[in-house]
Amino acid sequence: MSAPSTSRGLPIEISGLTKHFGSVLAVDHLDFVVEPGRVTGFLGPNGSGKTTTLRMLLGLVTPNAGRATVGGQLYRDLPDPTGTVGAVLEATSFHPARRARTHLRMVARAGGHDEARADVVLDLVGLAADAKRKVGGFSMGMRQRLELASALIGDPDVLILDEPSNGLDPQGIAWLRDFMRYLASEGRTILVSSHLLAEMAQTIDNAVIVSHGQLKAQGTLESITAGVTQASMHARTPEADRLCAVLTEAGIRFRRLSVDLVAVDGTTPEQLGPLLATNQIILYELTNEGSDLESIFLSLTSGLGFGEMGQPA
Amino acid sequence: MINAVRAEMLKLRSMPGIWVCFGLTFPLTALFIWAIFAASGGTPGHTYDFVHTLNERRQLLGAGYNGIMFLAPILGVICITSEYRHKTITSTLVLVPRRSRVLRAKVVVTAWWCLLMALLSLVVVAVGALPWNAALGGVTSQVTDQAGAVVPGLVAASILLGLFGLGFGTLVKNQVAGILLTIGGTFILEPILVALARAIFNYDLNWLPTAAAQALAGSLSRGFGSGHDPITHLLSWWQGGLIMLAWGLVPLGFGYFTTVRRDIT
Repeated sequence: MSAPSTSRGLPIEISGLTKHFGSVLAVDHLDFVVEPGRVTGFLGPNGSGKTTTLRMLLGLVTPNAGRATVGGQLYRDLPDPTGTVGAVLEATSFHPARRARTHLRMVARAGGHDEARADVVLDLVGLAADAKRKVGGFSMGMRQRLELASALIGDPDVLILDEPSNGLDPQGIAWLRDFMRYLASEGRTILVSSHLLAEMAQTIDNAVIVSHGQLKAQGTLESITAGVTQASMHARTPEADRLCAVLTEAGIRFRRLSVDLVAVDGTTPEQLGPLLATNQIILYELTNEGSDLESIFLSLTSGLGFGEMGQPA
Repeated sequence: MINAVRAEMLKLRSMPGIWVCFGLTFPLTALFIWAIFAASGGTPGHTYDFVHTLNERRQLLGAGYNGIMFLAPILGVICITSEYRHKTITSTLVLVPRRSRVLRAKVVVTAWWCLLMALLSLVVVAVGALPWNAALGGVTSQVTDQAGAVVPGLVAASILLGLFGLGFGTLVKNQVAGILLTIGGTFILEPILVALARAIFNYDLNWLPTAAAQALAGSLSRGFGSGHDPITHLLSWWQGGLIMLAWGLVPLGFGYFTTVRRDIT
């Protein structure tokens, strides 16, 4: 795909967004901005408030406080909602007896778009041959593509995708990655939530990382990983607290990944081994992990936090 | 609003349940036409006879009501509950973020399909019942003269029963429960309540949905067959119409505030 460079996206702005479900605080004063022309990953573990945030943005869930806007307007106040925002939320929301083309014609009608767009977007997502098939016979991957086609029916400036690669095969995932990058290259705003971090690392320009409904980090991938660009060692030990104290004393940056797992950044086995031996720290495992989005993600969302020298963003 | 209505039209057209409801109008109307001729007190030696009394002529014209009285509410129930059953409510509300607009569009398309249902029943009467009545020796104009007294009430009752089903569906959300409760309410619960009110309080419980629709439709199904109708005083047609309107709008309004406005998680 070529990469035209027109500017057509709108920013997504989330400010002070808060949502309680009874006593559960799902989203806690969330603030971030998604810029046009870039693919922004919305990352967080299950139950971190990603889907709730996206649903508040689309007016499906009413926030207790704060605002979620597209181009400065609430979604429901947009003069042409489906022509401005395309959303992929769940691949199961189809009537099984409806044919793919009929579904898209219905979507086009609801948004006031030309029904001929149904065939255009079916072709775009690779489902042209299945236009007359009932959705009930579609695989999960085909439903994801159809959901994406629905989102694209109004040729929107902003695309919001919630776990879009669920059910896609490796070819489909690669296709989706290229497709998102192509859409972003047209200047559109792309916000995509996912838990497939390795996949996201290849796709996104920016990341917003949330945990327990709170913002943990945001910015470009480079800025988030800037503090931990060097190789990383993962040390599994029953004496993680003591290891952290030793590393702090030695001025070595580390991240606590779990109760017994510590990522030690910017060091080598040759440097770390003697330090552990000197301090007689029991070690179950020592692996060279490098530095990737996944380890940063785990550090940010584990609730155990970074070492004193490793606080990014 | 027009876009939402057009989308809902296509949505309903592509749902098998809607076609089943619509299609059943045909055999049920035919069945009741047959029953009316069979019960019309035929001359000795004849199984069927033409319709003799004013009441029989009106019943013949409105033969479709007996099916519509439960098919129209079921159609209304399906219209809204299918959104929850197939989880399409999420995409519907993303496509049309103004929820009141979605509900208003559903009111329009439900009314449209119920109107078609009533018209289909009239077509069955026109092409089946009237020629049969003439063949049995009846005078067609004696039946068609009652059109003014029957058709508006039949059409209005069909539409308002559909809206009642739509309103009921917004409260129930579960499609199977909605359909079963509609059938059970029409054929079991309401007759029991009416009978109990009559037996215990000597009171005509004539404002329940079926009785109110019956009044609006010109008592088309009243006294049909059994001769033991426990309601002795139906409301007037306009009272029945107003009460049916309330049976449609009150649950619809209540459903809007309690269900449709809720978070879609």
